[in-house]
Amino acid sequence: MPTQLLFTKFLNAHFAALVTALLEVFHVHPKYPQAPITNSFAMELLVFAILVAYFVVVRLTLSVEKPGAAQHLAEMANSFVADQGEQIIGHGSERFVTYLTALFLFILLSNLLGLVPGLESPTADVVVPLGFALVTFLYYHYHGIRANGAGYIKQFLGPVWWLYPLLFPIEIISHCARVLSLTVRLYANMFAGDLLTLAFFSLIPVGIPLVFLGLHLGVAVIQAYVFMLLATIYLSLAVAHDH
Amino acid sequence: MKKLQYLFMSLAAMFLATPAFAQGTVSPAAQWVPLAAGLGMALAAGLCGLAQGKATASATEALARNPGARPGIFIFLILGLAFIESLALFTFVIIFLKVQA
Repeated sequence: MPTQLLFTKFLNAHFAALVTALLEVFHVHPKYPQAPITNSFAMELLVFAILVAYFVVVRLTLSVEKPGAAQHLAEMANSFVADQGEQIIGHGSERFVTYLTALFLFILLSNLLGLVPGLESPTADVVVPLGFALVTFLYYHYHGIRANGAGYIKQFLGPVWWLYPLLFPIEIISHCARVLSLTVRLYANMFAGDLLTLAFFSLIPVGIPLVFLGLHLGVAVIQAYVFMLLATIYLSLAVAHDH
Repeated sequence: MKKLQYLFMSLAAMFLATPAFAQGTVSPAAQWVPLAAGLGMALAAGLCGLAQGKATASATEALARNPGARPGIFIFLILGLAFIESLALFTFVIIFLKVQA
């Protein structure tokens, strides 16, 4: 049995049989049939629940005359992402703001969850950032095709026809490398931050690890911002029209 | 000349010191793994620090000359730092995967 956090234990106690049965339908055999729910999945579920609760609160307390604290926070996050999108993508960035804001808030909350004792960052597990990166990959390709139609293929080809067979594989590889670099950057930062705090905790258990916990707080915020920024830049490259 | 002397001295010390580590039950090939991991990570971290320092220095210089360009410089600075840092992190991940196995 793997070590489980309290929330994971609670989920496994109640839904283990159901989840195992569901996975068996898809011919996936979990390693531990008594505990198919991993820590990172439980933490993701927690982030999802917190965000949905927050959005519900914002929606219920929405008012033009007397905006509450939750509404101020939501407006701040939205306008921050919208400004960023306007600056990078330019005209027509409004339709991407919802996705980018959701991505930013989800990653930010996932990263910050690791600072709470008794919880851990889902992003410190490699499959979670891979999920974010794959969704972003599909999203910007979808919008590239939507904005440019069949002409989107021109972005993968060179300026002159005899360069096409050379540049096409290179472009394909570079687009796949974007997924890899997005995944590894987020995963390694969160994982290394946790490991660093743990290493210094094993050396000096009092006081000093707090400094690295503070560093980890900064890294968590910056990495969420960087992920959102790169998603915005990839979107801007995909939807750009050739002149 | 003096630098070369120091280099050879430290190399001699390192090669003399290795038999002390070979006493355990570790196989001869595996005994180099911690050393290689440490050296690799040190190289990556050092060069990454150098590059990030260069990037930050240029950004502050640009900011001092033209304080109005703060938002644009900020985005590119963060982006550049993230890309530079990810190179060191690739090293970290490779070391972590290889040392665990």
